[in-house]
Amino acid sequence: MARSIPSEPSEHLQLMIAGYVLGDLDADEAIEFERLLTADPALAAEVAQMQNALEMAYAPAEVKPPSHLRSAIMAAQAMETNPRRSSRPAVTRSVRRFPWNQALGAAAAVVIAALAINNYQLRQALQATQTETPSETLTYVLQTETVEDASATVVVNPVTLEATLTVRNLPPLPPGQVYVLWTVLEQGAPFTVDDKSAILTEVLNVDAQGNAFQTLIVPKVYRSEELVSRVAITVEDAAAPQRHEGAPVMITSL
Amino acid sequence: MHSEQSGSTEESLSSQTDAEVYQSLRAGRAEALGVLYDRHAGLVYGLAFKVLSNPQEAEDLTQDIFLNLVRSSAYDPKRGSLRTFLAILTRSRAIDRVRSRNTALSSLERWKSGNSQETDSNTPLEYVFQGERSEEVRIALAQLSESQQQILKMAYYDGFSQSEIAERLEIPLGTVKARARRGLLKLRQTLTNYME
Repeated sequence: MARSIPSEPSEHLQLMIAGYVLGDLDADEAIEFERLLTADPALAAEVAQMQNALEMAYAPAEVKPPSHLRSAIMAAQAMETNPRRSSRPAVTRSVRRFPWNQALGAAAAVVIAALAINNYQLRQALQATQTETPSETLTYVLQTETVEDASATVVVNPVTLEATLTVRNLPPLPPGQVYVLWTVLEQGAPFTVDDKSAILTEVLNVDAQGNAFQTLIVPKVYRSEELVSRVAITVEDAAAPQRHEGAPVMITSL
Repeated sequence: MHSEQSGSTEESLSSQTDAEVYQSLRAGRAEALGVLYDRHAGLVYGLAFKVLSNPQEAEDLTQDIFLNLVRSSAYDPKRGSLRTFLAILTRSRAIDRVRSRNTALSSLERWKSGNSQETDSNTPLEYVFQGERSEEVRIALAQLSESQQQILKMAYYDGFSQSEIAERLEIPLGTVKARARRGLLKLRQTLTNYME
């Protein structure tokens, strides 16, 4: 009876907690509930128990997502909240005014040489800004129907043709077999391909946990993004991966 | 040095309630999202995976759901718990994805076979986890009236608002509200012994 003992909350309060857990408090109740919660922080534990009861009956068991997902989400959030990062200064700004006055009377050859150097610097500057700009990279996410929990991502810089390949949870293979990354091209693309329209891009080294992180150089076709039809991973004979005999275990979607 | 700083702010956030952490997120504290993710990613991913049965799609949806917390202010922390909001949103988005996947598949199949016969491969969209429920939960649910069970299911599974439920079942709004709350309270009381 003693009111000071914080035992069972009253039925009114319990029903209100149920309403909160169900997400259906009306405006007046919301104000009252907030006041009660501030007055007695221990109510939070009651809310958690009520939530637990609802989920025991109606929610499936929790499943821990793969650990890379958290960092992917945090990175995506950072990109969204700082969209300015990808804007780069206009290229023309970096063209330095040539000192025509001083050059007057100089040989035409010197002018041409100077312009050529200037032009070269400009190109370097352009390349540098493109390399730093995240929006300039191409990302290929490979999916799988067959291997539970596996993921693979290829991020390509089309200017430098440097790429990173991140693979998780691909089952390690028996000796004599390797995973191979293929670039599959659109029909008629002006590149040398095998009979499956593919270019062998990299042989993967997957560790005992089925993970790999490799940097690689990709074929020039990535400079014409529209000619890349698919990116896929197959299992091949380690002695002759170029035969391309395996079906894709992971592939980008259409 | 940067990580040390964000470590300590995450620590202070982690002692707060969901509603408080969510307010911090809305106020622009980016690390609040990490705290909410750590608390609820298992629920969101588990639900997404259950409905979609594909890890890549489940990851994709989980990412959408959490980024959505940053983008939209659809959740009102005064009216209800974040977990219920997340669960209802995840389930309904996952079902949308299965539907559009099925539509794409069946139109592809029709196109392939050259006629428009209906496919009967409807996935059980209304997935009930009956087989996975423990004996205790089944006993506890059996103590609820049918109407209470139906209303709880419509609210938590189908994401119907109370007024939508009232309309569909043709019963007064006040009755819907009372039955849902009494039903859940009953569940909690019966299950208390198993929730130590």
